[in-house]
Amino acid sequence: MWPSQLHKKPYVTPQSTIAPFKLTVQASECGQVDCTRSRHLYQISRFPSAESVLRIWKSLKLAHLQRLSNMEVSYGAPPESVQKKFALPVDSEHKATEFRLFSVAAPHMRAFHLSWVSFFACFVSTFAAPPLLPIIRDDLDLTATDIGNAGIAAVSGAAFARVAMGTACDLFGPRLASSALTLITAPAVYCTAIANSPASFILVRFFTGFSLATFVSTQFWMSSLFSSKVVGTANGVAGGWGNLGGGATQLIMPLVFDLIHNIGATKFTAWRIAFFIPALFQTLSAYGIFFLGQDLPDGNYSQLHKSGDKHKDNFSQVFYHAITNYRGWILALTYGYCFGVELTIDNIIAQYFYDRFNVNLHTAGIIAASFGLANLFSRPAGGILSDIMSKRYGMRGRLWALWIFQTLGGIFCIFLGKVGSLGVSIAVMIIFSVFVQAACGLTFGIVPFVSRRSLGIVSGMTGGGGNVGAVLTQVIFFRGSRYSTETGITLMGIMIICCSLVIMSIYFPQWGGMFCGPSSKVTTEEDYYMSEWNSAEKERGIHMASMKFSENSRSERGRRVESAPTPINGTPTTQTLSSALEFVKRKEHAEKITIKPIKEYAHTTSTSICPSKLEIDIASIPKSLIIYTNKFFIAKPKFLAILGD
Amino acid sequence: MAIQGFLVVSLLFSCLAATSYGLTFSSLQESLIVTASPKHGQVLSAGEDNIVVTWSFNKSLAAGTDSSYKTVKFKLCYAPVSQQDRAWRKTEDHLNKDKTCQHNIVTKPYSSSNNTFTWTVERDVPTATYFIRAYAYNSADHEVAYGQTTDAHKTTNLFNVQAISGRHVSLDIASICFSAFSVVSLFGFFFLEKRKAKMSQAK
Repeated sequence: MWPSQLHKKPYVTPQSTIAPFKLTVQASECGQVDCTRSRHLYQISRFPSAESVLRIWKSLKLAHLQRLSNMEVSYGAPPESVQKKFALPVDSEHKATEFRLFSVAAPHMRAFHLSWVSFFACFVSTFAAPPLLPIIRDDLDLTATDIGNAGIAAVSGAAFARVAMGTACDLFGPRLASSALTLITAPAVYCTAIANSPASFILVRFFTGFSLATFVSTQFWMSSLFSSKVVGTANGVAGGWGNLGGGATQLIMPLVFDLIHNIGATKFTAWRIAFFIPALFQTLSAYGIFFLGQDLPDGNYSQLHKSGDKHKDNFSQVFYHAITNYRGWILALTYGYCFGVELTIDNIIAQYFYDRFNVNLHTAGIIAASFGLANLFSRPAGGILSDIMSKRYGMRGRLWALWIFQTLGGIFCIFLGKVGSLGVSIAVMIIFSVFVQAACGLTFGIVPFVSRRSLGIVSGMTGGGGNVGAVLTQVIFFRGSRYSTETGITLMGIMIICCSLVIMSIYFPQWGGMFCGPSSKVTTEEDYYMSEWNSAEKERGIHMASMKFSENSRSERGRRVESAPTPINGTPTTQTLSSALEFVKRKEHAEKITIKPIKEYAHTTSTSICPSKLEIDIASIPKSLIIYTNKFFIAKPKFLAILGD
Repeated sequence: MAIQGFLVVSLLFSCLAATSYGLTFSSLQESLIVTASPKHGQVLSAGEDNIVVTWSFNKSLAAGTDSSYKTVKFKLCYAPVSQQDRAWRKTEDHLNKDKTCQHNIVTKPYSSSNNTFTWTVERDVPTATYFIRAYAYNSADHEVAYGQTTDAHKTTNLFNVQAISGRHVSLDIASICFSAFSVVSLFGFFFLEKRKAKMSQAK
């Protein structure tokens, strides 16, 4: 019954002693398990990294799990049976560790393709009107004010919807949330075909714009399915290829319109029929997500909630921690001046080229499309650049890269408004698009680190901030006839530069900001992320995902040498599992301990009652703590409480 | 340095070049008299109603003025009220930037008198207030003169066109059916999801 490796583990002679420290290990529950003749091995070792903890527990699990059918096998490398289930290599949470673009294997890559395609469809629908505006404005007798209002309406709905979407993803899962939103906004696109006045036009664009909230479900879904090594790439590509829809629509809609017009419909009917294409595309993508997608590698939310495998967090706590983190608000503002600018340009650029340079509708569409099409590589490149900067310079590198790229975007925007010839204008527009879209990708290289507990809502806030920026910009510069379009573009460039200056105020105590290094009072990643949980929650042990994340986020320090932290005062007396962990973590951080198990205690029971109490005297063991159960650091934590006296 | 200077100069030059060439409207002579059948304020339906246009050379001008006129092009032009808050219909003096007259009616060879034609308002003419203007072109296809149905301030003899809506009953029905179908599928999704969850719990 005992795996043979156990007996081969080396023992280390303790080198020093600490004050006597008695711990009582108490199993919190055994479930409906038959504990007869089970052996529980409690291993005492210095606290290792999560991976080595899990390796140590491998042996225990094998023993335990032979008896316990409903417990998960989850440690360093999953056993063969689990690995075979997934087409891609997965980590302990079954998140994919590789990103294979040309695979459609379920559930990871299939979900990736479904989510970017549906986000693309939503973008196509939202920006289907601008390339056809020269026709629509004559049919519906729109004024420049009406057109400006419609453009604002198109992007304003999603400002709030994106925040709500983050919550919906948490509650219902990204699959249901995104397919529901996509389906419910499809009627607005169908009804664009029957709009007959400026008011109805503004209304349909408003409701269609809600579909842009699928951005949040895309990012959330990718974060649930891909491990931190590749999540940046997955998020960047999914976001970028979805945004591509804003460019592709400028090509698709004039083409579809031409086709229908040539078949024989008059112009004023042809544009209406043309709107059925994006609407149908949107509907089909919603069906695809619902029937072919899966929320998590192990199943869908509704199943996992019912079986108790997924823990539901407290919404008000999550919300509170999201809105009190000032970095989320700053990133929301700056995202408004990279993504918001992108949305604004999607709305105005075709008309700008049509009116200022007298090109025909088709050509204006192609030029406008090249702006959005740059998303194919520029946004993913931004995400990848963020990761590269982080490897060398840590979080500070990410912040500098974001500021530089966004400011350069603003500078080229100023040029765009100034140039008066067609060729130069197109060239400047493309350079401008690359910088602005890369800035979007760079922003979402920073967002995952702002908060771990409230990641959904912080992402939603940042995404929503993008839309607010688009609304503000269009209201100030592109509504009515106060500024000509070219003046508006130049002024928008100046605004981008000014609003990007706030990036300088982002400061992470554990990593620093643009101009300051990390705090002189030593702060670790754990301090930052654990501040989101109160002690009652830590006692229940529901903060473990944040702990693991804190450890993984060490990479944001860049390559600089870690300084020695201050020693921990006092010896732990009464501790819960979590604070014990923190204690040991700090020591480990200071001394870079390599882990070897020191002692083992085996406890066998011959009764049907699970062992409830095991007393371990570790007076003779230096600086060590007991931790675990077989549920450590994985999806279904069931912890042993550690009490001391 | 020299290259930068050159780039700046060529940039400026190309900006200027785009704006400087072209005839201006103010340089044209109003030598044609054009009248149209719609009365001031009359509403015409696009695709149905006709306009009868009569035009001739203004005999009170010197005799050889019209020697260079070869063709006359008639256009439907927007009145000021339809240009308000619509920069894409703006009047500019440079003819190649002027957007006042966007709808071509017909092109006729020039003859100095007794000219008339009937034109059915086309189906793609939008709802707006209009007047009619005729440009006379010389053999090099440049504008040399004009005439219009309204006065210099564009306040008299303006008529309205009511456009087709482009909507059809079949389109309306299709839109509503597809929309209803989407909403119903959504409820179907929720129902299916609940059922799946119940089934997995029962297992």
